[in-house]
Amino acid sequence: MSELIKVKQQGEERCEGVSYQDLLNDETIEVPAYLREDNNPYMGNEDISVDRWISRDFHDKEKEKLWPKVWQMTCREEDIPEVGDHHIYEIVDQSIIVTRTGENEFKGFINSCLHRGRILRDCDGHAEEFVCPFHGATWDINGNFKGIPCKWDFNHLDEKDMSLPQVQIGTWGGFIFINFDENCIPLDDYLSPLPDHFSRFPLHDYYKGAHVQRVVQCNWKVGAEAFMESFHTLETHSEILTFTGDANSQYDTFGDHVSRSVTPMGIASPHMPEVTEAETMRDILELSGRMATDSAEGHEMPEGLTARTYVAETNREMFSEIIGESLDHATKSELEDAILYMLFPNTQVWTGYHGNIVYRFLPNGDDHSSCIFETMILMRYPKGTKRPDPAEKNILRPDQAFSEAPEIGGLGPVFDQDDSNMAAVQKGMIASRKGAVSLASYQESRIRHLHQTIDKYLNA
Amino acid sequence: MTTTADSLIPATDITDNTSVAVSIDGKNILICKANGDYYAVDNQCTHQRAELTGGRIRNCYLACPLHGVRFDLRTGMPKGELTRVALKTYPVSVAEDGNLHLELD
Repeated sequence: MSELIKVKQQGEERCEGVSYQDLLNDETIEVPAYLREDNNPYMGNEDISVDRWISRDFHDKEKEKLWPKVWQMTCREEDIPEVGDHHIYEIVDQSIIVTRTGENEFKGFINSCLHRGRILRDCDGHAEEFVCPFHGATWDINGNFKGIPCKWDFNHLDEKDMSLPQVQIGTWGGFIFINFDENCIPLDDYLSPLPDHFSRFPLHDYYKGAHVQRVVQCNWKVGAEAFMESFHTLETHSEILTFTGDANSQYDTFGDHVSRSVTPMGIASPHMPEVTEAETMRDILELSGRMATDSAEGHEMPEGLTARTYVAETNREMFSEIIGESLDHATKSELEDAILYMLFPNTQVWTGYHGNIVYRFLPNGDDHSSCIFETMILMRYPKGTKRPDPAEKNILRPDQAFSEAPEIGGLGPVFDQDDSNMAAVQKGMIASRKGAVSLASYQESRIRHLHQTIDKYLNA
Repeated sequence: MTTTADSLIPATDITDNTSVAVSIDGKNILICKANGDYYAVDNQCTHQRAELTGGRIRNCYLACPLHGVRFDLRTGMPKGELTRVALKTYPVSVAEDGNLHLELD
């Protein structure tokens, strides 16, 4: 008798043991559809040339075909709370004045005087009108031309459209996005299915509790990719293995612009089979920096309860107190797992009921070898109370560690661990004789997906 | 020897993130309140000499209404490229009578 042997399709290999979907089967609360998505089409396993990260040429292609065409996150609505407030968004060699022009209205102006080209605004601030510091050409905050001194010398301007050129602009989750392309797809289409997946986490109603920025000596994609898989946990963040299901992580892609990783927490890594539930519980509270409390003192695990359940229920109670709302409908997964979405090309957002981390990686001006790494933490405030002011951006010097930013707490040392790799990756890619990288088929599939979508833009 | 001046402005007249211009001894001075503390600066931007009255105050920075140059109210130091010249600052405190009290030199 022959046995039927299931032949695994290419790309279907997974870590032995419990999967994220298996863990969802343990939930006693109804699991929402977005968590049940399990979407990872096989994308091949060819090597990828390091030129994509290290060459000036590739950066120039992105400058020409990528950044002018994508929806990109510029700032939070709360950063420019009053009409007339504006934020200067810079990308490669472009500059936009992102302005609040009405209670719920924003416009993005090309930051260039129509007289002799000087940038109109040098920095973030507030204005009743935009007056060029060179000769005084003036526009109102809606971009309408108000005049220039010595108008008698400028009669030829009468036949020109002197309103400030604008970019496309839109908002989601409290973030303001712009697109340089007049013919771009609507923001809602670009974001899909992100808004749907975040329906339990109304990010527009969270406030920015921390905002830290620092230059990193690597291409923006090297930086972004350092956060797009949990495989590096084993070597880079080994102290968190006692409570992190790194190799059990699920990786999904949704269309061209969105991908996700789900790393279960409150379970020990498959690499560490000897860890006890008590050790997992103690370490996740003390070391993750993301649970509702950061001390294991006074926490005794009842017999028969797993660390995952115990910590989730502790979070449920404490988070609902912090936000002033019941979290009875929240699954354990939503209360403690690291569920992290990427929005193409360079913004990443965590789900969560409090303390949602956001990352953004921007090219450092026109430099292909360095990037600006930013992280924000979005927090809930108790329902019915006054919304706190957003945190000021803390710009670290290049020689400063992330742990020197007290506002990001326990995340600082974790980012420092990632930081210890990023510039080193750039250096090593340049030194590489192999000239290419070989990605893990499943755990690093989101990186492949990022590059696939980049190519769609570069080849358009 | 420092000259002091009583501004005759009750401290409570100025709320957080607002300012009041006063003329004392021929000087045009802007008294500001930021993050709960009082500051006094020359009411003239060191960039193009615009009045700073009505300039937005956020987190201890006063922004010039004209081109947006921001000055640190604690030190008078400007941010950005438009000017490198610091704003003159004056020590200001709340007197026993509740009015704001300036030290001019």
